[in-house]
Amino acid sequence: MKNIDLKGTYDRIVRIRLLKNFEIITDTIGGILFGPSKVTPGAPHIVDSIEIKRFMSAAIIALIPSTAAAIYFWGFAAIKIIIVSYVAGGITEVLFAFIRKKEIEEGFLVTGLIFPLTLPPSTPLWVVAVGVIFGTIFGKELFGGTGRNIFNPALVGRIFITIGFPEIMTTSWIAPLSDTITSATPLVVYKSSQVMPPFLDLLLGTTAGSMGETFRVGIILGGLFLMFIRITNWRIPIVYLLTVFVMSLLGNTILPAKIAPPAFQLLSGGLLFGAMFMATDPVTSPFTKTGKVVFGILAGIFTILIRAFSGFTEGVMFSIVLMNGFTPLIDHIVVSSKYRLEKNER
Amino acid sequence: MIVSGKRFTKGYSFHHFEGAPEERLVESGVPSEVVIPLQQGFGDEVSATIKKGDTVKAGQIIGAGEDTVSTPVHSTVNGTVEDFRVLSYLQGDTNAVVIRSDGSADWQLVDDGGAWTELSEEALERRLYLSGVTSLGRSGIPTRFGSSIIGPEDVEHIIIQGIGTDVFNTTFSVLFENDGVRRLAEGVKVLKSIMPKAAVHITFDKSDMLLIKQVDEAMSGIDGLRSYPLKARFPQECDEVIIPTILNRPYPYGYLPAHLGIIVLNVQAVMHVFEAASENKPLIDRVVALCGRGFKENRYTSLRVGCQIQYVQDLVKEEMDVRFVFNNLLTGFTCTDMTLPLDRTCNSITALPERQFGGFMNFASPGFKNDSHTKTFVASFIPFEKSLDTNLHGEERPCIFCGYCEDVCPVGIIPHLIYHNVERDKVEEHLAAYRIFNCMDCNLCTYVCPSKIPVASYVREGKDKLREMGIDESTVILPDFQLKGIEMSNATDEDTD
Repeated sequence: MKNIDLKGTYDRIVRIRLLKNFEIITDTIGGILFGPSKVTPGAPHIVDSIEIKRFMSAAIIALIPSTAAAIYFWGFAAIKIIIVSYVAGGITEVLFAFIRKKEIEEGFLVTGLIFPLTLPPSTPLWVVAVGVIFGTIFGKELFGGTGRNIFNPALVGRIFITIGFPEIMTTSWIAPLSDTITSATPLVVYKSSQVMPPFLDLLLGTTAGSMGETFRVGIILGGLFLMFIRITNWRIPIVYLLTVFVMSLLGNTILPAKIAPPAFQLLSGGLLFGAMFMATDPVTSPFTKTGKVVFGILAGIFTILIRAFSGFTEGVMFSIVLMNGFTPLIDHIVVSSKYRLEKNER
Repeated sequence: MIVSGKRFTKGYSFHHFEGAPEERLVESGVPSEVVIPLQQGFGDEVSATIKKGDTVKAGQIIGAGEDTVSTPVHSTVNGTVEDFRVLSYLQGDTNAVVIRSDGSADWQLVDDGGAWTELSEEALERRLYLSGVTSLGRSGIPTRFGSSIIGPEDVEHIIIQGIGTDVFNTTFSVLFENDGVRRLAEGVKVLKSIMPKAAVHITFDKSDMLLIKQVDEAMSGIDGLRSYPLKARFPQECDEVIIPTILNRPYPYGYLPAHLGIIVLNVQAVMHVFEAASENKPLIDRVVALCGRGFKENRYTSLRVGCQIQYVQDLVKEEMDVRFVFNNLLTGFTCTDMTLPLDRTCNSITALPERQFGGFMNFASPGFKNDSHTKTFVASFIPFEKSLDTNLHGEERPCIFCGYCEDVCPVGIIPHLIYHNVERDKVEEHLAAYRIFNCMDCNLCTYVCPSKIPVASYVREGKDKLREMGIDESTVILPDFQLKGIEMSNATDEDTD
């Protein structure tokens, strides 16, 4: 009963003329606070309790270990980057909501956190803002918003600043719990001298790397949590990681100078973070089960190829974005062959 | 013979909700007024054989259709015919007879013959036909009097559904008290004697093995009888799902089980067959489950057919805003007019709380009582009873391709794929290839959608548009099957039981 009165009060407040112009914002806040006041129009008379807000919140919960580790390792610098990402991206999102005259969508909550976690810890704040704004506009809004985007918005932003500001993005690494600027992530070190750090350091995150990618125990836990509660499907991350394992096992026996051994491949760079949190984005990955497997295999192959043979040391974001581009084609082929096959069977 | 190992893995398992009926049967008295629809269960609407002001007895036939596929309709009380009216009801508009009761509880026999075992086959069929039970099941029980689209000799399988896969898992095991197992066995024998060629299959909930053994023993004398312990998963009660599950044969979606030579009945229908044959009793009352938190007590009750919803309205908690739903909460009919009656096929009435208010910061609550396909609520891990209401629990958002609708679809459609096509107005022949006509409107896709999109409505819209273009079941599904009685039937696909 108390809640209903609260809602009534809120509804009276937002009816003030001044706030009328900001209906999109007040509606969004109202939605967050009080939930929908709509009931089912007919059969089915009941519906599942899951909603997009909760769906996205679950992803945020899964990112807590990585975020907490980033803040622990890099302190206030990490907090500043995350805040700038949310504020700059949030403003972009709200502006587009006004242009489109629709409510603000929840998908940004996840993008706004995943993006800073893929950045080097000493990235200048203006670069963070440029990246997240670019990613939101060109990764999502231009396609029509959440659900219609082809590429993962966080990765679009990340790739834009990687290519746009190469000096900044390759020299902004800081070893955890120190102020020493270094340009040497484990992948860079391996590429030049084939030296690997101890695997325990890789798992616990005490090596240099992007903010969210180093504490790998937390990433694995978060990823398993998402699969367990059915927010993400196991097929993409598991197949992706398995492919990387198999490919690097083969590659390392044939070309040990170029291709690192499997355990190092799995535990270095953004692979785990990308496989668990970015490749699994339902909007930009195939919806068919076979398609998910194909996606995982190809992403794994591209990751190994880019890491071994390209000028870049890390291939995860490129391979995921590349596969995002292939997603509609994969789904189309799987769907049409599925229905054609079954037609012939009968 | 008990056959285990049959499994249906798609669909959705509803279990442990507040408001499930206790296994207790309460008789209720004779209502002061009944409204008898002239179309009940399978068959065409019959024409009234009485006039306003006539005195009728309970069990007296008040409507019959000689030349149509139909079964007679009875008065269910002793009294006088007050009026005729048109109801907007389960299967569309239908005429109904309003009868004022004199309050007496007796009823007249179907015919004056003796024990059913003494009767000739024709006399037994006539007794079943006149008693009204032949309208039960989605395609009726065949007799030589035209109660179904096929004849009794065409029936190859009889499936008896003892499993409750609706939201409350109402298994009606209350019917098995007081000698119910024997009555079910007798009912099966009656069916067997008019359809001697048919094999009998009975499904039960796996959790009640004792009952399965009892029934299997009681029916050991019946040739070719098989019992199937199954795990309850919605919508297993649908013919489209149960026939492929236990008989391993494809179902002609959009057609009736009778077209395959299969009759699907629920346990209560077989009990009615027993009563009709053995006790000479017309189908005038019905055991109905009173479900949902809105009722003061959740239990089974025996009600006269034609009894109006306002008759059970007193059993609802005061000050609670409820929605009355006939049968399943996913597919059922909303009863907004309290003078609407329950008919022969009604299994349950649910008083579902209407809930306008979503709850303060609900999306972030632990969710001790929330049901979900995902495991994002604590309720998935604890044995508390989950609550039900009509709230949407979220705002409508764009589809994010989470794939839940495909996970649960019982007939192998990718619902969101069809939704996207229909939404963008791309309704063409390829939707038929996506098997849109497999859809049997179970509404599960709408249930699980986190974006609150009415997916099933879009699928229905797509089907309707295709039909306008001349593409329908007869061009898509029919060519793959050899169906019985197809030239006799038309447009009787909407019947339910």
